[in-house]
Amino acid sequence: MLKLKEVGQCFYPNTIEEAAKLLKESGEDTRIVGGGLHLTAFPNPAIKTLIFLNNLKLNYIKEIDGKISIGATTTISELANSAEMNGYLKGNVKKLLQSIASELLRNQITMGGSVAQREPYSDIVTMLLTLRADIVIHDGEKEIKTPISDFYKSNFRATLKKSVIKEVLLEKFDSTYKFGMKRFTRNATDIPLLNFGILAQVNEDTIKNVSIVVGARPGPAERFAQAEEFLKNKTLSKELAEEFGKFVEENVDVAGDIRVGKEYRAHIAGIFAKRILNEFMEE
Amino acid sequence: MKVHYKINGEEKEFDIQPGELLLDVLRRNNYTEIKGNCYLGTCGACAVLINEVAKATCTTLAAQVNNAEIITIKGIGTISEPHLLQKAFVEKGAVQCGFCTPGTIISAYALLKNNPDPTEEDIKRSIDGNLCRCTGYVQQIEAIKFAIKLLKGGK
Amino acid sequence: MNGFEYIGKNIGKIDAMALATGQPLFTDDISFPNTLHIKILYSPHAHAIIEDIDTSEAEKIPRVKLILTYKNTPQVLHTTAGQGWPEPSPYDTCMFNKKVRYVGDRVAAVAAETEEIAYEALKHIKVNYKKLPAVFDPEEAMKEGAPVIHDEEGISGVYNPKRNIVSHIEVKAGDIEKGFEESDVVVEDTFEMQYAQHCPIEPHATITYLDEYGRLVIRTSTQVPFHVRRIVAQVLEIPVQNIRVIKPRIGGGFGVKQEIILEEISAFVTLKTHRPARLVYTREEEFVSSRTRHPMKVTVKIGAKKNGIFNAIKMYALSNNGAYGTHGLTVTSNTGSKTLPLYNKAPNIEFIADVAYTNLPVAGAYRGYGATQGYAALEQVVDEIAEKLGMGPAEIRKINHIKVGETSPIFKALGEGREGVTQYIQSEATDKLLELGTKEIGWYEKIRKPAKEATKVRGIGMALLMQGSGIPLIDMGAATIKLNEDGSFNVLYGGTDIGTGLDTVVAQIVSETLGVKPEQIIVYAADTDVTPFDKGAYASSGTFISGGAVYNAALKVREQILEVTKEIFGEFNTKDFILKDGFVISEKSGKKVSLSEIAYQTLYLKKQQQIMATSSFVSDSSPPPFAAHFIEIEVDKETGIITPIKYVAAVDCGVAINPELAKGQIIGSIVNGIGYALTEEYKFSQTGKLINSNFMEYRIPSSRDIPDIKTILVETYEPKGPYGAKSVAEININGPIPAIGNALYNALGIRIHKLPYTPEKVLEALKNKGA
Repeated sequence: MLKLKEVGQCFYPNTIEEAAKLLKESGEDTRIVGGGLHLTAFPNPAIKTLIFLNNLKLNYIKEIDGKISIGATTTISELANSAEMNGYLKGNVKKLLQSIASELLRNQITMGGSVAQREPYSDIVTMLLTLRADIVIHDGEKEIKTPISDFYKSNFRATLKKSVIKEVLLEKFDSTYKFGMKRFTRNATDIPLLNFGILAQVNEDTIKNVSIVVGARPGPAERFAQAEEFLKNKTLSKELAEEFGKFVEENVDVAGDIRVGKEYRAHIAGIFAKRILNEFMEE
Repeated sequence: MKVHYKINGEEKEFDIQPGELLLDVLRRNNYTEIKGNCYLGTCGACAVLINEVAKATCTTLAAQVNNAEIITIKGIGTISEPHLLQKAFVEKGAVQCGFCTPGTIISAYALLKNNPDPTEEDIKRSIDGNLCRCTGYVQQIEAIKFAIKLLKGGK
Repeated sequence: MNGFEYIGKNIGKIDAMALATGQPLFTDDISFPNTLHIKILYSPHAHAIIEDIDTSEAEKIPRVKLILTYKNTPQVLHTTAGQGWPEPSPYDTCMFNKKVRYVGDRVAAVAAETEEIAYEALKHIKVNYKKLPAVFDPEEAMKEGAPVIHDEEGISGVYNPKRNIVSHIEVKAGDIEKGFEESDVVVEDTFEMQYAQHCPIEPHATITYLDEYGRLVIRTSTQVPFHVRRIVAQVLEIPVQNIRVIKPRIGGGFGVKQEIILEEISAFVTLKTHRPARLVYTREEEFVSSRTRHPMKVTVKIGAKKNGIFNAIKMYALSNNGAYGTHGLTVTSNTGSKTLPLYNKAPNIEFIADVAYTNLPVAGAYRGYGATQGYAALEQVVDEIAEKLGMGPAEIRKINHIKVGETSPIFKALGEGREGVTQYIQSEATDKLLELGTKEIGWYEKIRKPAKEATKVRGIGMALLMQGSGIPLIDMGAATIKLNEDGSFNVLYGGTDIGTGLDTVVAQIVSETLGVKPEQIIVYAADTDVTPFDKGAYASSGTFISGGAVYNAALKVREQILEVTKEIFGEFNTKDFILKDGFVISEKSGKKVSLSEIAYQTLYLKKQQQIMATSSFVSDSSPPPFAAHFIEIEVDKETGIITPIKYVAAVDCGVAINPELAKGQIIGSIVNGIGYALTEEYKFSQTGKLINSNFMEYRIPSSRDIPDIKTILVETYEPKGPYGAKSVAEININGPIPAIGNALYNALGIRIHKLPYTPEKVLEALKNKGA
């Protein structure tokens, strides 16, 4: 059934410069299409022009300058199945990616699309925020690299009316770094009703360089600064995990919606927080 | 606008509206082996292989996959020359109403292409986007395992 | 093993390869030139009078062909329930009603050259609604002064429309109060089951057209082709003879396609415009405006003697039928009639039920048909009383369940809209089901209380179940079988395979009876012009009733074949003849003639006739299948998440004609039931609008949600069924709610009284238990 009725033009630029230029020139009702899931599942009938990134060859995963560079049109499946993810953060990112949504959607959801949409229930956004990824955009003339949390603090939706996401950069964290992310879903292929990620450097049980992110609150994912502060320089222990869980439950900024209540969201955030720390100790 | 696909080995050209979904374009052109109408990518009955990757056609724009190679269930095997997966599905009771079957077999086919020796978890994951209300999945999983056995035996 | 050649064998489903290779088998896989596309306008209000509808703007839109409202369509009160005539459901609906009774009730329909134009036109229909107070809770609805939902003239079959009571049921045996007084232990508990949908992956779809002679053809995704014909004739006030209904392959039904909700609209469009018309539901429409399971609140009270024998069982069910009364009486009757006879030791029984109208989506038939809701409560209360008595769950069931040769007063007292039929159990192996099931799940090793320190604890639970096989003295099926030149047979029957494998089962029955391979049986089903009548696919009647009809027809054909063979062999005792591998063989003389030769002879040369027969089957009983279900779950005490680990279903469906297909019915039901127990539920806004009408928010199980499932078929022989068969299609959906409920209790000592068992509710129950 035709929902995107007004679409009259499709562009298939060959370079990202061209894509950004087209985007700038063609106005309000233009959309860059990554995987196309958001566009088709929740169609905005006002859209008139589409710019496809097919020819830009942005589905790559490669290591550059000690970072893992993931092209914007790389899908969850492509990333999950990549050699780069095998040992990355002890395989925890790979495992996470494999559990998101369903195979058909993992084959469609892209990194760039996830970043651009910033759906409240996106696991990718929570993951990238936790991993303190950099977002590289191209404004038609130059590439601009921004840490993802700064990107979201800025008016990124306005930025993306003029720029195209090129890639996502991940730090190649050394073995002192630990990553854990948990998702609460109604059943296996569900969207998360809450997700919770922690990345931390653990040196001789001392927690440093920690980032903590809560998503599907049901508001969009955010860094959880208080919790990061709480863990800073603490010594990893069972007791800390317990304490931290309680702290998270009491302080996490969540709300209720039709899917699940506020109290449960806060509770499960606390449980996830505790369990991730406990798992850090087991690693 | 015009789009061009290679579908089940045949070159095809269709006139489409730029905002049209691949599901609608293909069904309109008599590829009725593609089922489904959730239009959210959630039921998987409309899955085909697009450039060898299993995808939901109800959330794929026809224009986006211009020039793609598309394989539907009929490109995998036909009623006179079925693929081993199709045979296995028949034999193991994995087809009940059959409405989800084409999409499910597409997903299983994609799995076996990339991973000829999948674990049970791999199998379950490969078809987790293809909802089935009849079988409860057990016989589908058994059928896929059986097909793997047959495929290995064939070598 | 059983001496049969084709019965009990895993013949591949005869339509499966066509389905697995994507042949155009479903309703919407075929399109006709010049087709009009129909879209429906739905009420945004839960309860309102349509003061006026102005369709003039919409009609001006180019390529809009026809707009239907209550103003230009027949106002015939009828029921959408595709049941046998006279339907036990109330006549309380018209094709389009002047009053809308739930958000999603239909207001108008547009037929246009394309779907897009039809959608566009819907936006230009102006409707003036006079909003009325709405009522969403069945208890509130039955109170004095509640908004009256059906106050229209002429409705019939409603128990008390002024109090929104669709049906009231009261059945008693013995003296219930005395029964409780004389019991040593009495337990009562209440469970509330939620709105849920069948979710066939193929939604409702109908295509109508006029054939070359101007007769109306309805190609439709239905479970009840013959009832479609009758009800469309009734609603459109045209003769039955003007209508042909064709059932193609059906993409799942589970009860929801036992309703006539699209056919009459599409048919009317075709009759008015003389053009093919197509009406296919979206997933959202499937959720909002098709049918659902009846939400029910069920209270069960059991009194038992010290020795564990039940002395009194009382059940009260309050059923929510939503805005229209379809299947109200019968579903809720089944809540009692399919459950209470299982424990026939109790001499004192009472079943009382009310079925209420509310301003919510319409409930209808759904696999399990009320028994699901009954067992959800009954089987948990049985566990509760067992605990009070200090008995094991299996032990208390063993001493109380119905046995061969026994009956229950409920069979007679509670029928489907009329009095039932007395019946005695002729096949049953319940003790064996319990024995094998407990063994497979490891019951006695696992029943020990799990360690309490761990965050994740295991629990096990069981449930004992029965259902029926067709509706006695109501359900009838018929079949015609004829012989062809190559020794193949056409089977023409009205039975309605909706994905269950009935056509294959039927081929096996004919194969066995006539001694030919299933490949030589050409099954054609459910075309009202071509095949004899059949009640359709419901009430677990396929194998038993439709299969019974086919069996009877095959026996008659067999007789005709033997009669002709007498002359060919020059032998006159047909008892000496056997049919095997496509031949008639005289065991006396060793003479042999092929069925092909018999066909050539009789079609062209001697004793000329078409060897064929038509026969019907109706049963004076509804032999219950039985099942014992067991589940092991893991519960995360900190998150409340329940993970099913292993499920065992030990099932007695008589002789399983095709065990692999029977297994599919069992597992499919269980997984559907697990979905209902754990995640599936309708969520409504304050104003009664369904707000999770898609698969993103209404969570049905995927391949990653299923436990390890083991099925055990325990064969019994049911003398009333074809080759000893009983039903298997519905019974197994009744197990997951009580089995998981009992396992939750075993794991954590909690019972959740409002379904589904969500993590939130598990934690709440744990908190309340601690407090």
